[in-house]
Amino acid sequence: MKVNIISLTCCAGCVSSFLNAGDALLEILSGDFEIVYSPTFVDLKEVPEVDLAIVEGGVRTEADEKLIKEVRAKSRILVALGICATHGGITSLGNILSVKKLLEKEYFVLDTSKLPELKDLMYPVCNFVDVDYYLPGCPPMPFLIVHSLKSIVSGKTPIRHQSVVCTECYRKIIPAKLDRLYGIYEKEADPQLCLVSQGFICLGSLTREGCGAPCPRAGFTCFGCRGPADPLLYRSRDLYAFLVNVISKRTGISESEVKKELYRNPFIFHTFIFSKFERFKARERVI
Amino acid sequence: MSYKKEITISPTTRIEGHGKVTIVLDAFGNVSDAHFYATEIRGFDYFLKEMEAERLPFIISRICGVCSTAHVIASVKAIEGVYGTEITETARKLRELLLMAQIISNHSLVFFFLILPDFWFSLEEESSKRNIFQIMREKPEIGKKAIALRTFGTRILDAVGKREVHVVSVIPGGLINPLKEREREELLKMSENACAITREALELGKELFEKNWADFRKAGDCRTYYMALTKDSAIEFYDSKIRIINLEGETMSEFAAQDYMEHIEEKSYEWTFAKFAYLKALGWPKGIVQVGPTARMNVNKRATTELANKELEEFKRRFGSPAYATLLFDYARLIDLMYACERARELLEDEGLTRTDTRVKVKPKGGRGIGVVEAPRGTLAHEYVLTRSGHLKNMRLIIPTQVNNAAINVNVKDAAMEFIHYGEIKPGLLNRIEMVIRAYDPCIKCATRRVNEDLRVEITNSEGELIRTL
Repeated sequence: MKVNIISLTCCAGCVSSFLNAGDALLEILSGDFEIVYSPTFVDLKEVPEVDLAIVEGGVRTEADEKLIKEVRAKSRILVALGICATHGGITSLGNILSVKKLLEKEYFVLDTSKLPELKDLMYPVCNFVDVDYYLPGCPPMPFLIVHSLKSIVSGKTPIRHQSVVCTECYRKIIPAKLDRLYGIYEKEADPQLCLVSQGFICLGSLTREGCGAPCPRAGFTCFGCRGPADPLLYRSRDLYAFLVNVISKRTGISESEVKKELYRNPFIFHTFIFSKFERFKARERVI
Repeated sequence: MSYKKEITISPTTRIEGHGKVTIVLDAFGNVSDAHFYATEIRGFDYFLKEMEAERLPFIISRICGVCSTAHVIASVKAIEGVYGTEITETARKLRELLLMAQIISNHSLVFFFLILPDFWFSLEEESSKRNIFQIMREKPEIGKKAIALRTFGTRILDAVGKREVHVVSVIPGGLINPLKEREREELLKMSENACAITREALELGKELFEKNWADFRKAGDCRTYYMALTKDSAIEFYDSKIRIINLEGETMSEFAAQDYMEHIEEKSYEWTFAKFAYLKALGWPKGIVQVGPTARMNVNKRATTELANKELEEFKRRFGSPAYATLLFDYARLIDLMYACERARELLEDEGLTRTDTRVKVKPKGGRGIGVVEAPRGTLAHEYVLTRSGHLKNMRLIIPTQVNNAAINVNVKDAAMEFIHYGEIKPGLLNRIEMVIRAYDPCIKCATRRVNEDLRVEITNSEGELIRTL
């Protein structure tokens, strides 16, 4: 199988994660998996026709859009790897500002004949092309990437992860009676109890499973890098109400108080999904 | 008679991030200018304004998935600078171990996956074959060793940082989780093998280097100032003073991290999204300075670990100090790697590493703080100004690739001038240019976090018409 690895606007962390798979990576590379195009590893300058294209990063510039359309036309299967490709990712936080203003402030003149024109917003790739599989995560864990790719290469549908991170977290949910919420650095977390019932704003109850819950296991709150779980995928305006409800139930703080606390930090659950979606219709394609 | 006037290489390959090179020819067909530029931009400096301080480290980590650990640690150190927090010795050791792991996973990737194909294959080899995957097909052991070495790095990141990319356990005040004894023993066992692989990589690197040295010298040098962290003239990554040396190798200045921003100025050009950083005292362009592996070798006189110190001495004997040849970055990177493996083993041998006092309570307040570390590509600095309510008021990041940006451009132009005379392009231009860029291992992701970068080579005439893209 001929494979392309494409980087659009991103941090390159998803391909790094793929390379962290150790022996599983060697296994996949020794099988029917030939990387023929990848500016990071291979010297080929033109995008070839392939069976599988792995795309990390979202669409920030006109050049990104042109490239992703070319890649789609030349690939049989297209996998959007990582939350930037699937939902816009961290870079989409830039959508709160006007890019033009941002550039005027930073660079006196930019020569657009040499640099690609910026788009008004950061978009996930599904706004421009059809995506066969979405694999969100910042970055997705190495084993998740390898397992999914193995299935795809052998012509099977990868295992889907539909539920929330809480199902993979060992912490016990015991409703508490707290008087306020806490920041991550404000106090040490109890190693056994659910982080939300200790007053931390953990997004595990909204976020798609499949990562193995490394962050809450380590005592760090889940910050939602796998994007919303299946039931919440199309009702993003309800994410907020849902979170308020969960936090209130587990901490014993009234909903109105929780709302007040959450309002102070507008980015709390948009950190990775502050983008504009179109054509993100196929739920069954999210791995 | 008309000459080709602009040459473009796009995208530049085997480099992290999207880059592009343009070479401009004058009316006689000689090189008048050459640029290496970034065509990517993301805008971190803007959208992080007013962000809560506690969310900064893990968001800023997303600037770069390749050197994320260095970013997290610099970020946390900057916040601790504002708060006036003193972390425990255990936390300091664990953070240093994380930085070593970052160097190991990055440098093993750069050496085996990006650089090695240049030395492994002859210049005549088809470009579609000049890559690690072809090497792995021809000699599977190389691939196995590369992956084993990288896995040592990622296992440390996983055990101590709790995620391999974008670590989460490092927070202001220390680390959330102590290291378990079982994990320490497992990692210590792995470190032996890692040191052995690195020794082999060094031998292989030196052998290939020796063979190509004549060509390498021709690839040019760029005589500039050098800057790196130093602890009593020994290689250091986590803490300590910053030293700048002049063209003769004498110390021009040495200062604490808090004063870093007073020594560095930035400049932007209309043709690239990546800014240029230079020494304020000398101005532009006299103050062009380089950071990274060669800088670490030039600035420091010794390494605290045995084998790395021996290699460093040999390096200095052979190439002088300061050593200028650009492609020595590739050699120096292997000495870095040796040091990182030995230092990681040394840290892991210490049973005190598993002490549970990894965290102190922080007292949030407003003010200004700077965090400086040696990232894989050189000195990395984060400066934050926080409000009293704990929100980000201002941020300034000086990224290694921004510092090296000027030297990279000078090198690209030199290479272009060597290969292009009166409109005649000698074969090997593309490869040479990419090799000098690759030597710096530039991370366009980091340099262009502000908005999105791409690397390409274009040839235009002095009127700006595009002639050819390579």
